[in-house]
Amino acid sequence: MQRRNFLQQLIMAASTFGVASIPYAIARLSVPGSTPGYSVHLRPPGALMNELEFVKACIGCGLCGEICPPKCIEFDKREGGNAVNAPYINPENKACILCMKCTEVCPTEALTEMLREQVKMGIAQIDRAACYPWVDRGVCGACVAICPLGDKAIAFEFANMYKPYIKEEGCVGCGMCVEICPHPSLPIRIVKPGKGSVVQHTV
Amino acid sequence: MNKELKSFFLWRHLNKMRWLVLSLVFMMLVFLPFAHVYQTYVASFSYDLLNPSEKQLYDFMEMITSPFINDPALDLDAIKGNTWSGNFFGYKISDPLAVVGQIAAGLTIYWPFFLTAIIPIVLTIIFGRFFCGWICPATFLYELNTILSLSLQRIGIKAGKKRFDRRLKYAVLAIGLAISAFTGAVLVSMIYPPAIIGREIYFATALGGFGAGLLFFILTILFDLLVSRRGFCRYVCPGGALYSMLGRFRLFRIKRIVENCNDCAKCNAVCEFGLDPLRDKFGQECNNCTACIAVCPTDALTFNIKIVDEENQGPGHLGKAYLKNDNK
Repeated sequence: MQRRNFLQQLIMAASTFGVASIPYAIARLSVPGSTPGYSVHLRPPGALMNELEFVKACIGCGLCGEICPPKCIEFDKREGGNAVNAPYINPENKACILCMKCTEVCPTEALTEMLREQVKMGIAQIDRAACYPWVDRGVCGACVAICPLGDKAIAFEFANMYKPYIKEEGCVGCGMCVEICPHPSLPIRIVKPGKGSVVQHTV
Repeated sequence: MNKELKSFFLWRHLNKMRWLVLSLVFMMLVFLPFAHVYQTYVASFSYDLLNPSEKQLYDFMEMITSPFINDPALDLDAIKGNTWSGNFFGYKISDPLAVVGQIAAGLTIYWPFFLTAIIPIVLTIIFGRFFCGWICPATFLYELNTILSLSLQRIGIKAGKKRFDRRLKYAVLAIGLAISAFTGAVLVSMIYPPAIIGREIYFATALGGFGAGLLFFILTILFDLLVSRRGFCRYVCPGGALYSMLGRFRLFRIKRIVENCNDCAKCNAVCEFGLDPLRDKFGQECNNCTACIAVCPTDALTFNIKIVDEENQGPGHLGKAYLKNDNK
């Protein structure tokens, strides 16, 4: 008799927790997970370097997006179920201006306050087979002119006017150069730090 | 009627004040994303490049904010965010569920973030589940939904009146925290209506179009309408579960003055959370919304400072049941 009671209680508990997980199942099914490609989905400046740690710390309040002056921080609206409302930046649409307001407003440790020189969102990579000056198709220099860190991050090659190159230790990967680049195939892009500042073609 | 036992006259009007607070919070949530969009226009110095509809927004926002602020690019930053986590004149205030969910996801306590939830936690310990009745932007829509269901009943569409076990929501909270700990993301906010409302309004105004959370919210609205009145808040909401547990021994609770009660049961009918004020059963679920005080015709309900409910005081002294007993 006792055993039957225990069994009944066990079944009751299991069914309660089963019913309790239904709303999560519905919510999760309506929001598919997303796999951000790194070159277009940067995390905001000051974000924890480890993606898993960042998702753990982020509560998805959206304050960083709401305070961003250029409105560059976006959110997954109909996907991103594995990290609810986590912010990202797509520099091809709108790039970060490194005002660091989002780090001030973030309530958790997801975005930590730091100087703009210490940010490591990624590193810019130039494709020398496509960039106009590098293939001798005229003068440009837009990326060098727009860079918020100036000479610390990007400069022209000595005696090769208008051929830009990235300084690996200085570039923080804000993506302003990606936004401004006039070339339609975007020869400059942001990759993970440590991948080098020149696109390596394997032919 | 004994004059000393009368309820304080202001408590009857708290319900109107509650509606005012609810609608103010909701209007704030709608206003802030517009303010942010306006700020981005100001920051980019590009009034001439805006398209006509954006110019309209710019002019309108400038018109309504210019009497109060000097520099929109900076001064409008004073109030930001939503009820899930907000920035209020430099003070960061977060939902306790956000803190608990983040602790579950990270399995560590980040104290600066924990401290942002101290004010809501202390207020909840004193006033109980007041967030659900007074601030939650979803409550505003859910109560309007209740009014809608009443008018639908006139056409003939029956509102659902099913009752489940109230303890289900604690299981939902436990499951949510377990899922958060397992996946390492704060997934409780996926089914928490105030968080959904906060971000969906931002999506709709600033990012152009609602997100997937709206679908879930519409499902909860339909659940309330067709299955159980305010069913989501009563039986499912994980935040409500957390607030209920925090406010179990709240100081401010509603009490029935048995001498004034005439057993009309209007309080039971009006109670959004399906509680039983008529038999002194408020419990930890009561959110101090004061709707029962407002509806009571004989001023038999009042606030009491005590950490436990009164025992069942029996039938009201003005009611038929009590008079019958008296005659015997």
